[in-house]
Amino acid sequence: MKFVDEFRDAELGRALSAQILGELEPGRHYKVMEVCGGHTHAIYKYGLDDLLPENVELVHGPGCPVCVIPMGRVDDGIAVAHQPGVIFTCFGDMLRVPGSEYTLLQAKAQGADVRMVYSPLDALRIARENPDREVVFFAIGFETTAPSTALTLKRAKAEGLRNFSCVCNHVTIVPPLRALLESPDLRLDGFIGPGHVCTVVGARPLEFIPADYGRPVVISGFEPLDILQSILMILRQLRAGECRVENQYTRVVPQEGNLRALEVMAEVFALRPHFEWRGLGFISQSALRLSDAYADFDAERRFELPGVRVADPKACQCGEVLKGVIKPWECKVFGTACTPEHAIGTCMVSPEGACAAYYNFGRYAREREAV
Amino acid sequence: MSPESPLGPCEADIGHCITCSDEGIPMRVLRAGEDLAECRDDAGELHQVMVDLVAPVGSGDTVLVHAGVAIGRVGP
Repeated sequence: MKFVDEFRDAELGRALSAQILGELEPGRHYKVMEVCGGHTHAIYKYGLDDLLPENVELVHGPGCPVCVIPMGRVDDGIAVAHQPGVIFTCFGDMLRVPGSEYTLLQAKAQGADVRMVYSPLDALRIARENPDREVVFFAIGFETTAPSTALTLKRAKAEGLRNFSCVCNHVTIVPPLRALLESPDLRLDGFIGPGHVCTVVGARPLEFIPADYGRPVVISGFEPLDILQSILMILRQLRAGECRVENQYTRVVPQEGNLRALEVMAEVFALRPHFEWRGLGFISQSALRLSDAYADFDAERRFELPGVRVADPKACQCGEVLKGVIKPWECKVFGTACTPEHAIGTCMVSPEGACAAYYNFGRYAREREAV
Repeated sequence: MSPESPLGPCEADIGHCITCSDEGIPMRVLRAGEDLAECRDDAGELHQVMVDLVAPVGSGDTVLVHAGVAIGRVGP
């Protein structure tokens, strides 16, 4: 397919790898964070880490939407799913995220009507087909998925659907990045920017990273050559002593983002004063709720939610993985008690989670065979 | 999938995850309607995609689809 195949060319990948080697300063160790879970997945799927020199370390960021959902919010979803007459809908990965006692999938096994959907529009269709049932969509995701939820709610409002509502867990990418940059645990040299989030919000929201923290950012696509080229662009900035936001993903990301999507989101959502992130704690103005104009579709107002904060299991080190402080294989339960089939932590649930990416693609330990 | 993985075939290996809709997939527009378009992904699967946010689109355009909604255009 055009715009896909040409970005998977192995020869060009090796050439980029050689160029990366040529940009390194002797004796320097580079830590580059890929913000988005989609990048993490692509890096290990295509073995890009094997094409990088040892002193270029990739640190995995908090941009996997499933991974950052705290257990208390999962419990809220399960409580709604158990309400009589409710059809509870969510993306497939959410089904396997552990709450404090069990998962949505286990709630389904107990009799709750929990259904997997690929899009919030599917949930809307279910609501139309079941006018005597309450249909609830458990919305997760960054600015990439929020427009889909917003459009769905606009459509529900236009159709006057009264049996559809949404538990809104949408989050925004800038506040956790700022929190990470303020963290003394982590010293990063640059960022591979989230290409699809920037398709919606544009490049400007990331400008605080070079302006306030002096780190380069390269907004990147998700194919293997995109990621290698972005790493090369970061290293070139570092070598030249520069820091700015560059756009590697120009075939998709417009500088100003998608203004129509931003307009719809501004109509349907409002910022929450604070929101809990798994592993990162409460972060101010980092998540979205439904705006007052859409209060009728807000499941948090329609149903009574427990709203209880639940601490992560002690064995789970998702927080440190999400902050890039440890590698997945350094977690005590990685690959033993915690696997994709029986996940303890969220990072093992979604294919975009760092732990699942390591596990699925054989990164069980530090040692790698030389290529 | 790595050969040593104890898991069975992984959906992640077919190009994208089939259960998580929170990912961007480039798709080719086959037929464009007013707000919906029939699109084909890299694997040849057909999808009905909402195109309000990138309209107007025409046959042959490539769009980036997230959770059933096109959020951007893919182009040179």
